[in-house]
Amino acid sequence: MKIKPLTFRKTSQIIFFLLFTLTVFQATYPFKPWLPPELFLWLDPLTAITTQIAGHFFDIVFLLALIVLLSPLVFGRAFCGWVCPLGTVIDGCDHIISPKKPKDYRHFRPIKLIILSAVIILAICGIQYAWLFDPLPILWRSMGVIGMTFLFLIVDTTLNGIITVGIFPDTMLNVQDKLSGYLFPVANPDFGGLIAPLIIFLVILGLSRLSRRFWCRYLCPLGALLGLVARFSPLRRIVDAEKCTACGICKHKCKTDAIEPDFLTTTKSECILCLNCQRDCPTDAITYGWRSPRQMANRIDLSRRAFIGTGITALAGAGLLKINKIDPRRTDRLIRPPGALTEDEFLERCIRCGECVRICATSGKCLQISVLETGLEGFLTPLAQFRRGYCEINCNLCGQICPTKAIQPLNVPEKQKTKMGLAIFLKDRCIPYRLNENCIVCEEHCPTPDKAIKVLSREFIDPVTGQKRTINYPYVEESLCIGCGICENKCPLNGEAGVIVVREGEERLQA
Amino acid sequence: MDRRKFIKTGAILTGSIVLGVPRILGKETTFPDLVMVKNGQPAEMARKALDMLGGISRFIAKGDSVLLKPNLSWDHAPEYAATTNPELVAEVVRQCYQAGAKNVIILDNTCNDARRSYDNCKIPELAGKAGAEVRFVRDNQFVDTPIPGGTQLKSWLIHQEVFNCDKLISMPILKHHWVGLTSGFKNMMGLIGGNRGRIHRPYAESIVDLNRVIVPNLTIIDAFRILRRNGPSGGNLKDVEQLSTILAGTDRVLVDAWAAKIFGIDPQTLDYLKLAHSAGMGQIDINKYQPVVYSFKA
Repeated sequence: MKIKPLTFRKTSQIIFFLLFTLTVFQATYPFKPWLPPELFLWLDPLTAITTQIAGHFFDIVFLLALIVLLSPLVFGRAFCGWVCPLGTVIDGCDHIISPKKPKDYRHFRPIKLIILSAVIILAICGIQYAWLFDPLPILWRSMGVIGMTFLFLIVDTTLNGIITVGIFPDTMLNVQDKLSGYLFPVANPDFGGLIAPLIIFLVILGLSRLSRRFWCRYLCPLGALLGLVARFSPLRRIVDAEKCTACGICKHKCKTDAIEPDFLTTTKSECILCLNCQRDCPTDAITYGWRSPRQMANRIDLSRRAFIGTGITALAGAGLLKINKIDPRRTDRLIRPPGALTEDEFLERCIRCGECVRICATSGKCLQISVLETGLEGFLTPLAQFRRGYCEINCNLCGQICPTKAIQPLNVPEKQKTKMGLAIFLKDRCIPYRLNENCIVCEEHCPTPDKAIKVLSREFIDPVTGQKRTINYPYVEESLCIGCGICENKCPLNGEAGVIVVREGEERLQA
Repeated sequence: MDRRKFIKTGAILTGSIVLGVPRILGKETTFPDLVMVKNGQPAEMARKALDMLGGISRFIAKGDSVLLKPNLSWDHAPEYAATTNPELVAEVVRQCYQAGAKNVIILDNTCNDARRSYDNCKIPELAGKAGAEVRFVRDNQFVDTPIPGGTQLKSWLIHQEVFNCDKLISMPILKHHWVGLTSGFKNMMGLIGGNRGRIHRPYAESIVDLNRVIVPNLTIIDAFRILRRNGPSGGNLKDVEQLSTILAGTDRVLVDAWAAKIFGIDPQTLDYLKLAHSAGMGQIDINKYQPVVYSFKA
């Protein structure tokens, strides 16, 4: 039996999706990946181009992106149809919710080029915003942060249920502990800002309601970029005009609406080589083969006028994003991960993939996806929130995993000396100061080898009873504090802690 | 009765006499309730201490489910003396199994991330090899338990395994702590859930209240390496002192009192010990109650 070409495409999609899933699963403490979790992001030319332009730097790992960028010269947009894991997820979603009779949205085609030009112009202006539309960071944060959290919830609740009911409780407990050893943290992280990335992801999937691969057809800037290169591809769809009965099935089955009304011509910048047309052609008139790229090179969908319009809009947008820049006086509680670059450089490089947030969720659990705390420009960037978690003294994984080195890779001793901020006591809240009772949980947990939280013992005479007692009043030795936030995290008060970490004294690195 | 059955019964009877008589006799000889072993390696000191106490079978019966509570609470290697010595724990696990324990469970509600602490302190690795079941602590495993006689705490969330097990062995490491030191009584905080920081106010009453419901059958204090300063978290090798000592005993107040003594603190200055003593949990007078001491080297 001959294997159908379509089977190859589906197999390839599944393999790459599983590889992507593996990169997500590997982003966990203990961090011993045999496939780098950053791999797909390094392969992403849109990330490579915009990040390096916006951040004015060159990183050799991004040469990997050339593989994907140049692949259309041979295979057309096969990356979109055969590799892209977001495309695979969308395909899956299409099976469920795509309409039987989709409307014609062909006039939307230039939108993805507009988005592409806009994010590149923004990058030239020093603003990295491609991640909002870049499929690989989108999928990484959707799977890594939201997906893994839900998966944990489902698995853990199920196992807890089975244990409670009493079906092999010991075995199930072992399963739970083994999973904790390799995949999940022991307890789920307490995430705050998941709603924003969740909405983005659900909207992308929901677009399938309009047409199949709506995202890939009309919006994806990475697809647009590859489509530009694919115009020169020699590999393309060939229709035997004598066999073709113009039944139109191929056009109907085409995932990306790449077939022109004559059913013979294909728009190469749209075709993702899904091979559906070949499979469904009733007269087997369609094959895929090599032809001189000169034949049927398409013109670019974006008119000069639209391009100029985009440019102006993007520049205006750049201005808008910068106007939104927040007042430094309001940012004293906005703590970046340890080893983060200076704020401007950090924002230029951070692609909001969520890898740091994911891996932190399996360790100290302090990193959160921010929504608008750091302004529009900082949308979805990682922030440390110490009431939800704290920075583990021996953990440097966020810097190890960051694909663009927006968080610099520090070794553990370096990281242990890098100040994320400074702890300060709120004497109106802190128990010893407010109630003149001993507490000192913060001092107990303070992880620096010479404790940054020290205590001053003083006699306190209760004015009501007249009893004398010795109270330990905590204070921070500024030179020793690294702002890891464990004091704020472990403070036994409900609501705001009696000790908080502020940005004062934070160390930000230069690239 | 056929021949086979006769032989079988005979063998069982003979066996139980041979094995049982020394045991019955052994009960008549009195073993010390507090021992101190010095200048050995952790495993051999544990063996010696248990021998001197009359063997682990004094505490562990055949088929017992044993809960072992060492300190696995901090993300530090054993050399930093923030967590109980893993070789010591492994040896006690082996002894428990030799006494016929059904299973030995080890767990601790950690201060640092559970996986990091469990990995770094080496206890799961070494005790696991000895056959212990090392488990993570989860929020849904705590039982809200009333504390009869509690002065500060009327009830608290306590790990279900405390009530499921037959025997509880507490194995703290002796460390500096802002109240003076942390040892056996404080070790029980690893078996509770909830907002544990609240326990600290007032510290002595609360920690004694917890120990009203969590009662170890045996306390073995690891003073092989002790943490002198910056406890209980530690992190600096300069704060670690090698004492090469272990203390073991059945009276948890007395064991802690002697731990304070070898740490260099007068137990009478520790509020929680005085309170525990007056609550009738054990003896605090270290001059009156002395341990039987054994030293490996001269």
